[in-house]
Amino acid sequence: MTTLDATTREALAELLLAMADDEFVLGFWDSEWTGIAPILEEDVAMSSVSQDEIGHAKALYELLAGLTGGDADQIAFGRPADGYRHAALMNHARTDWAFSIARRFLYEHADAVRLESLATSAYQPLADLVIKMRREETYHILHFDLWLKRLAEGGDESHARLAAGIGRLWVDAQTVFAPLDGEACLVAARILPESLETLRSRWLERVRPRLAAADLPVPATHGLPGADGRTRRTDEFAWLHGEFTMVSGSEAEATW
Amino acid sequence: MATPRDRVWEVFRQEAEGDPMIHGGSVNAPDEELATHYAREFYGRRQESERLWIVPRDAITELDDPDLLKPPFDRSFKRPGGFLIKHKLEAARERAGSPASDEVGE
Repeated sequence: MTTLDATTREALAELLLAMADDEFVLGFWDSEWTGIAPILEEDVAMSSVSQDEIGHAKALYELLAGLTGGDADQIAFGRPADGYRHAALMNHARTDWAFSIARRFLYEHADAVRLESLATSAYQPLADLVIKMRREETYHILHFDLWLKRLAEGGDESHARLAAGIGRLWVDAQTVFAPLDGEACLVAARILPESLETLRSRWLERVRPRLAAADLPVPATHGLPGADGRTRRTDEFAWLHGEFTMVSGSEAEATW
Repeated sequence: MATPRDRVWEVFRQEAEGDPMIHGGSVNAPDEELATHYAREFYGRRQESERLWIVPRDAITELDDPDLLKPPFDRSFKRPGGFLIKHKLEAARERAGSPASDEVGE
């Protein structure tokens, strides 16, 4: 595929922005654990995973900028809070360690399903990038599957906190697969090889048995993720947005 | 920060295939799986290692007895440097008519 028509390009831009914002915002939330994670070793591990996500976001923003003629930094830092398109799952503050682990667990599996499918995307630059991203994501899945198990088996309090986190995030976790305006166009062009609803079913098949194995309540599915799954914003995210745009916003015209 | 239940794991790294495993440092972790993750974070995430060995510290048998390791008498003849062959080598080279190129021995 060498050229894209305007409709397809717009649809691809929407997909890239959604994926980049997921990684970017989650990377910022979990980088807050730097210095305060449960043990020094985990502090380094969580910080490193967060850096991985920001790195993936950077690569996706650059792909997007190349497609639309924008600037990656400007896309990343130059939008108002309501201009971001991450899934509602990333609207929540990091809260406690169990809540952060619950979110990572839900997100990493969703991301893995999405990336597996996109590895065969007809848009070769995206397929190439995704293949690289997946190599780093292998470790993320291992790490957060392990933490889910540890907290689930770690005693009454950690189990209860983890169950509460899963319960609170379950509906918003579905929004990683919220429909995109240009989805039909992307699927027809095989840029997105499968529909987001197909991917969501696959994600549920992976997440549910793991929750059951950890003796965690498996929530019933709450219908389909709404069309506003990537446009709903919260005060918590507005606060985070203020934090991560503080430096870039202090001198709008500066060259860094 | 480490809890009493944590164990210490010694981490050895290999920089390139075929190189010896060299001690890199240690990590605290409650079990083998997390020890593996943390060893990777500390000694392998910047493409600096070909392979890691992660060994529980309590599996290591330590020998540090000076009576065994630092015998008090002069045993310098047991070291390869205990024999001075430099001058003998030079003389041999001269007889053979080849220039003395490498520094050998002490």
